[in-house]
Amino acid sequence: MEPQLLLTRLLNHYFATPVDSLLRALHVTPAYAKAPITNAVSMELLVFAALLVYFMIVRLTLSVETPNGVQHLAEITNNFVKDQSEQIIGHGYEQFTGYLAALGLFILVSNLLGLIPGLESPTANVTVPLGFALVTFVYYHYHGFKSNGLQYYKQFVGPVWWMSWLLLPVELISHCARILSLTVRLYANMFAGDLLTLVFFSLVPVGIPLIFLGLHLGVAVIQAYVFMLLAAIYLSLAVAHEH
Amino acid sequence: MQDPAEGRSLSVVRTTVDQREGASLVSLNHPLTARLMGAWSEMQNTLRTMKYVFMTLAAILIATPAFAQAGAPAENQWVPLAAGLGMALAAGLCGIGQGKATASSAEALARNPGARPGIFLFLILGLAFIESLALFTFLIIIIKVK
Repeated sequence: MEPQLLLTRLLNHYFATPVDSLLRALHVTPAYAKAPITNAVSMELLVFAALLVYFMIVRLTLSVETPNGVQHLAEITNNFVKDQSEQIIGHGYEQFTGYLAALGLFILVSNLLGLIPGLESPTANVTVPLGFALVTFVYYHYHGFKSNGLQYYKQFVGPVWWMSWLLLPVELISHCARILSLTVRLYANMFAGDLLTLVFFSLVPVGIPLIFLGLHLGVAVIQAYVFMLLAAIYLSLAVAHEH
Repeated sequence: MQDPAEGRSLSVVRTTVDQREGASLVSLNHPLTARLMGAWSEMQNTLRTMKYVFMTLAAILIATPAFAQAGAPAENQWVPLAAGLGMALAAGLCGIGQGKATASSAEALARNPGARPGIFLFLILGLAFIESLALFTFLIIIIKVK
């Protein structure tokens, strides 16, 4: 069993039994019945709670005359995501701002969590980025169907009908490869960042690992941005109309 | 390497040795005897050739245990080497790719500073795609190397 963080131990202490019975109802056998909640899940819950509190504070202190600091931060985030998605998706980008902002913020906070001692990045566990990638996959296909209707299948068979037997498998594989590449990019970056800091910590325990923590900070922000950007690009490809 | 020269220089070496011992096996009418004055430099050529031959032999002899051990279930001593070389290749080529991408985006930015947002977007995207290739290698190494 991997070492548990403080929050994980706390959650397992109080919720091990109900979570076990929930997993059994879903025909999943937890590896350790005493500790069915992993570090990644508890860290995700922490991020979820933090973002929920943040958005509730923003919503409750919303004011037109005297906007406070939290509102400014939320507006900056909103404007940034809106600018990016308008640049990429173009017409009709407004409906995706909510999803993209939530995705970007969740990944950003998850990535940055690993820099705090006593906590770890949930994105350094492969299942969490896989979850993000699957949700994005379902979301953009849903919006592709919604905006193009049944004509959406035309994106998969290419421009001419007699090439469709060749292009259909290629397109299907490339769409599934998007899940793989989104997952691996985020996971491997976070995992490698943690590992790099650890390796240099074992070589030189003082000072030098700080440089790599700084590098990891940059990588965390960039990867959250890239994930959001790629989600926006896949959305723009899915909702594009054939003219 | 120098295939035609090799045969010639070998025979010249034999000629010089034989002549010192006074029992020539090679006819003095042989065309190579006219070039005996240059025999010393040709012998150096021969030595260089032999050096390559022995280096090749050494490489082959070192490589043989690797082939012999490939089938053995025991701990494979070449795995760290392969992992390091693979990661180095991936990181180096990824560095070349990212360097080219960054160089041309910097050039584009210098030519047209007004296009900053678009260039930045494509630069970040390109870097992310290039980087993910190195990360695939990293992941394979992490998964396969125990």
